[in-house]
Amino acid sequence: MEALKNWRVRIALILAVVGPGFITANVDNDAGGIATYSVAGAQFGYTLLWTMIPITIALVIVQEMSSRMGAVTGKGLSDLIREEFGLRATFLLMIGLFVTNFFNIIAEFAGVASSFELFGVSKYIVVPLSALVVWGIVVHGTYSTVEKVFLSASAFYVAYIVSGVLAHPDWKAAALSTVTRPESAGFRNYGYLSMIIGLAGTTIAPWMQFYLQASIVEKGVTARQYATSRLDVIIGCLFAAIVAWFIVVACAATLHSIGKYDIESGADAALALRPLAGEYAYLLFAAGLFNASLFAASILPISTAYAVCEGLGLESGLDKRFEEAPAFYWLYTLLIVFGAGVILVPRFPLFRVMVLSQVANGVLLPFVLIFVLLLVNDRELMGSYVNSRWYNLVSWITVGVMVALTIAMVIAQMRG
Amino acid sequence: MSIVALSEMLGAAVRDASGAVRGRVREIAVAPQDHPTRIAFLIVKTAEGERMLPHDEIKSAGAAVRATTDAGRWDRFAPTDGVLLLKRDLLDQQIIDIHGRKVVRVNDVELESTPVNSHLLLNVVSVDVGARGAIRRLSKGLVPSFTLRALLEKIPPRVIPWQFVDLLETDPARRVKLKIAYKGLAQLHPADIADIVEDLPPAEREAVFETIDEEVAAETLEELDPDVQVAIVESLDKDRAADIVEEMDPDAAADLLGDLPEEQSAQILNEMEPEERQEVTQLLEFGERTAAGRMTTEFISVVETAVVEDAIEALKEFEGSREAVSTIYLTGPGNKLVGAVPLVKIAVATPAAALSDLSEPYVACAPDTPQDEVATLFDKYNLLTLAVVDEHGRIAGIITADDVIAMLRHRN
Repeated sequence: MEALKNWRVRIALILAVVGPGFITANVDNDAGGIATYSVAGAQFGYTLLWTMIPITIALVIVQEMSSRMGAVTGKGLSDLIREEFGLRATFLLMIGLFVTNFFNIIAEFAGVASSFELFGVSKYIVVPLSALVVWGIVVHGTYSTVEKVFLSASAFYVAYIVSGVLAHPDWKAAALSTVTRPESAGFRNYGYLSMIIGLAGTTIAPWMQFYLQASIVEKGVTARQYATSRLDVIIGCLFAAIVAWFIVVACAATLHSIGKYDIESGADAALALRPLAGEYAYLLFAAGLFNASLFAASILPISTAYAVCEGLGLESGLDKRFEEAPAFYWLYTLLIVFGAGVILVPRFPLFRVMVLSQVANGVLLPFVLIFVLLLVNDRELMGSYVNSRWYNLVSWITVGVMVALTIAMVIAQMRG
Repeated sequence: MSIVALSEMLGAAVRDASGAVRGRVREIAVAPQDHPTRIAFLIVKTAEGERMLPHDEIKSAGAAVRATTDAGRWDRFAPTDGVLLLKRDLLDQQIIDIHGRKVVRVNDVELESTPVNSHLLLNVVSVDVGARGAIRRLSKGLVPSFTLRALLEKIPPRVIPWQFVDLLETDPARRVKLKIAYKGLAQLHPADIADIVEDLPPAEREAVFETIDEEVAAETLEELDPDVQVAIVESLDKDRAADIVEEMDPDAAADLLGDLPEEQSAQILNEMEPEERQEVTQLLEFGERTAAGRMTTEFISVVETAVVEDAIEALKEFEGSREAVSTIYLTGPGNKLVGAVPLVKIAVATPAAALSDLSEPYVACAPDTPQDEVATLFDKYNLLTLAVVDEHGRIAGIITADDVIAMLRHRN
């Protein structure tokens, strides 16, 4: 009885803290992420599943540091960068973040458009409507209501797990290739190698660090509650990784096995799944794409506006009126209006912008991660919550590998 | 007399009496113990380490600095937390703008330089929180200083005079040394202080609540969201927390203690004065969402035979909140509630008038009345206060309209 009560208390505690970490990890499986996982499954079958474990570990390590900083300092990442590295570094970083996130927002609205085109609905209807929804959710919600909406959206990722099951994969082969060391011959294949880079690059995006830390602060998590918050991060990353795994498996079991390798996006994957895995798998895949894109499109503009305004010391916050925080509202509105608007421009080079968004992420990421590592090791700031020695070693290696892989991806992308 | 910006002076070449460049300005220090605004010394990074150039040995200052003495005479700088370092403590940091009643980030600091006899007197006059300071710093070294000055002239300044600046310092010992007492902040309306506090990170919040006057702290705490209240009280040491809770309205104090973990609220109650402790403990025993949970035990009651003069006397002695005095309650034998006199009637009556003649029909409710019903009563009878009466007809406490408004707002 006592044990049961204990267990219940623990669950209640976790539920009270679950949120920021879970949401951030899931938003990471956005339109771009789904596309990358689908292509990986279609082209290489189960042979890339081994990357899931190291990628999850890297994700947990990076996310954990940001959420710890939020809990201990009670300040956002851009605030800390401003206070410790000065105006100039912050200004340049904020320009970078703004541009990068703008490209990302375009990519998310593109995901929204393509998912609804699968159902035969014109993007001229869906995109403006989605932009309105995005604007409304955030402007009319408080943190806790918005969090509930976002948590429900995260739960919807189960759609991908179901469509993975409907694809009737070879479970044993999939499980085995997740845990066994990859064959070294594969690494000599240029396509295989660049796919690994793509998977790694899509996993950690600069905006996540800003968003996660800001939501931890906004939720009011303190250093004492930090242990549960870490659990939130770990559970979120695991769930996100499982979803990613099922996307790869679904595409591997169907598209790869019949030799259909030439897909480019999540929408392509959904279409190709239809004759192979059935109507339900197709519908779930498409609906999942819409959910993921809209979800990310809701978070990116507001998180960008907050980060930029806070870093530059401009008035920000949804509790302020327009005249009180003009820069904040202008940034937010422009990001949504133009991010959604360019999708409607006829013959807009969408694929080019998608690639560009990945490149921009890649260019910005090293700076952000290095700032994070320097800050999290600042004893004046973090007190006893700085990284331990071994954790530091692991995180510097992780960041080093991530940076190297991302730079490799940027170079590969630019070469086309 | 002219204005020079901190960012212009940082990195400026420093020439000593011989005219040779001896180093560059690394920091500018104010010693609040000696003088609240005057620059005490410049920290100059020389080939021989960090040296202090005292304020009365500065001949000119700006994009270049001249000293009246030889570099050999400048003392070595030993790090101390007793001085305010303008770059480290102010630039890019958050401060409280007392005048604008908000938390802002510092883009630059403006110093006023006045020639006195042989040297230059430098005083901190304001902090720049607008675009002018930001652009000055961003373009420093990239745009010729002449062009930059012309450009900056065109940008309307957004500066906060130094007397309206409250610094945020989380180290209590250093707060004392730097004479940071949040006196300016404490002058504001508690609701405004609460808005400011909500914009602060936890450690800075704690600093404010550790420092400001207990009474102001209590009123501010009442204006904050329940979960913010809990977070702040948990962070304070129990002694200080008890001092603040004592000053709160008993009903607000009871709500707060009810929200705290049991162990902590017991510790705080232990530290409180017996009288306040008893009042709060009583309120704590009622359910939070009932009339008794919402009521305050601080109200004015006089015997039914009293006259207006007695009521005014009672008003003078009353220490509770202002919301509670809008009605004066009359009690009969056995402390039973028999009447209620609105304050307006007392204000216009003669001193000798009997209160029982002024009494109006009153509305009362039982301690276990649900809060929604309480709200309905307020709405129906247009009440300012509502008496809570126990089973013997004795008045246990009153609910004031502001409590009902707060309750209705929090429910949404």
